Amino acid sequence: MSALLSVEGLSKSFGGVHAVRGVSFDVAPASIHSVIGPNGAGKTTLFNMISALVKPSSGRAVFDGRDVSRARPHHLARLGIGRTFQNLAVFSHATVVENLLVGMHHRIGGNVLSDGVFFGSTRAREIRAREEVERIIEFLEIEHLRNEVVGMLSYGLQKRVELGRALATGPKLLLLDEMVSGMNTEETEDIARFILDIKQELSIAVLMIEHDMSIVMDISDRVTVLSFGERIADGTPGEVAADPRVIDAYLGGA
Amino acid sequence: MRTGHAVETYGRLLALTTNPITWAWAGALVAALVALPWAVSGHLLVVSTTVLIATVGVVGLNVLTGTTGLISLGQSGFLAIGGYACGLLIRDLSLPTELAVPLAGLITGTLSLLIGVPSLRLKGLYLAITTLAASLIVIHIILYAEPLTGGPFGLRIPDVSFLGLRIADGRGMYYIALIVAVLTVVFVNNLMRSRSGRAWIALRDHDIAAKSMGIDLVRYKLLSFFVSSSIVGVAGALMALQLRFITADVFGLFLSIEALAMLLVGGVGSVAGAILGAAFIVLLPEIARGLLALVGWTGETGSAHVFEIRAVVTGVLIIVMLRIEPDGLIGIWRRTKRYWLQWPLSV
Ligand SMILES: Nc1ncnc2c1ncn2[C@@H]1O[C@H](COP(=O)(O)OP(=O)(O)OP(=O)(O)O)[C@@H](O)[C@H]1O
Ligand SMILES: [Mg+2]
Repeated sequence: MSALLSVEGLSKSFGGVHAVRGVSFDVAPASIHSVIGPNGAGKTTLFNMISALVKPSSGRAVFDGRDVSRARPHHLARLGIGRTFQNLAVFSHATVVENLLVGMHHRIGGNVLSDGVFFGSTRAREIRAREEVERIIEFLEIEHLRNEVVGMLSYGLQKRVELGRALATGPKLLLLDEMVSGMNTEETEDIARFILDIKQELSIAVLMIEHDMSIVMDISDRVTVLSFGERIADGTPGEVAADPRVIDAYLGGA
Repeated sequence: MRTGHAVETYGRLLALTTNPITWAWAGALVAALVALPWAVSGHLLVVSTTVLIATVGVVGLNVLTGTTGLISLGQSGFLAIGGYACGLLIRDLSLPTELAVPLAGLITGTLSLLIGVPSLRLKGLYLAITTLAASLIVIHIILYAEPLTGGPFGLRIPDVSFLGLRIADGRGMYYIALIVAVLTVVFVNNLMRSRSGRAWIALRDHDIAAKSMGIDLVRYKLLSFFVSSSIVGVAGALMALQLRFITADVFGLFLSIEALAMLLVGGVGSVAGAILGAAFIVLLPEIARGLLALVGWTGETGSAHVFEIRAVVTGVLIIVMLRIEPDGLIGIWRRTKRYWLQWPLSV
């Protein structure tokens, strides 16, 4: 099966720090692929390169036949890559619905003049977007929160809104950077269930960075392990868990 | 639990407000504003006109500073560009006022991009200082471009009319300001509930996430500069029409600070807050005068000091406001409303 995303020798140095060194792996369509590794291993930097927020020093990330790592960052949503961030990155003064509608930005169209007059086509476009947003709200079970200001919600719910916002971009690939860190067990289980549904019901591939090993082992189809910027293992959860280099990186390192 | 599933169509969810009471209040307010010139005249009518013009200006400033989070101290410069553009288009090109006012706005919006482009990487205080410097440059250019602007001798605007309303007539000018203010508020409210407004809020709250959600930051920052300054330019044009004689002095630095004060006191980021703030600050000297009259301080001394009192009271008010109510007047209003909506339970 051909890959949805091919990471080909991505590297990044910040001055003297080699954050990521020649990392390669493939993400299959509609699969759950985890990236794990100790703190500072370069996982977030890798995501930032795939989502064009950080320019690679070398290497490429080919998605749909295109090197997305050198695209304009705001084109990623249109190309089919949505993401969440390690630290909360919601639009905290806006409501849940407004946050999700921002995710739909590139699919709505229109211009400032038509928006200001709000007649005909703008109205129709907004209604269509709103219908799509309602589907996501239902999917994530946040019907009771739709008009809440996001900054007022609990951490776990804000993360859920961020997931919804990424879904609203209409992605083929979702990059999730540590969704469940800081969540309680119940919230973590909810997110695990949503990620499985995203794969199975929506046929969206999920590439996720995760420190929570139980969720990684339970739901991943494939796992890539980074340590000090390098890929030290890549395989099924079972293969990776048994890999002596991985065990060493987690136990022996630091 | 109220999930909102009872709302039958998404069209209704999108309506500016589904609350008939809000509609009724808005209707009553506009009706009262239309009827106002029959109730007041002379000085109070002029002050009311000024409130409406300030509303246009602050609603415009709010697009850039409140919604997009780009702090501007350049308000007076943009007002000046709008005022002079409108005056010159009428006096020298004899354009109809109905055309001169929107054109003055578009000219201001376009010129604002000259500051907007180099300001793209600036935030917070750096942007505030840059816009301040730009407004000082504008005032200097106006002073030195004497053949065009009249320089220190000012610019006189002939007594023209706008949609049949004469600018030299107090009532006429009031209605001109009212029409423009209502159109501005409706336009900006529409922006705020559509894609453009959400993009501005997104880039204000988290610019990197906004970028990853598909928002072109450069485009939307410049758009915010353009839309905001166009509206401020229209407010400047209205000032020129109201005064009918403008000099660079009219557009002093104090205007920029006052505009920010209106925004802060009203409640940053909210159109209704901008309106409340504009009304409050413009009416302050009237209130101050009333208070002084109460304590028996009337006559010449009182009115001579009214500007200083206004400045001091404004300053104190901003400090008090930020201390006790960071959400401004609109925050107080929202809380009061919640209190009364839940009345028997809230006591
Ligand atoms: N913008 C930057 N400038 C300089 N160094 C950076 C930058 N971003 C990351 N680094 C460095 O690169 C290395 C990898 O960081 P990165 O955030 O990618 O790690 P991570 O695997 O996501 O870690 P964590 O599990 O703690 O989130 C670290 O040593 C970090 O200090
Ligand atoms: Mg990280």
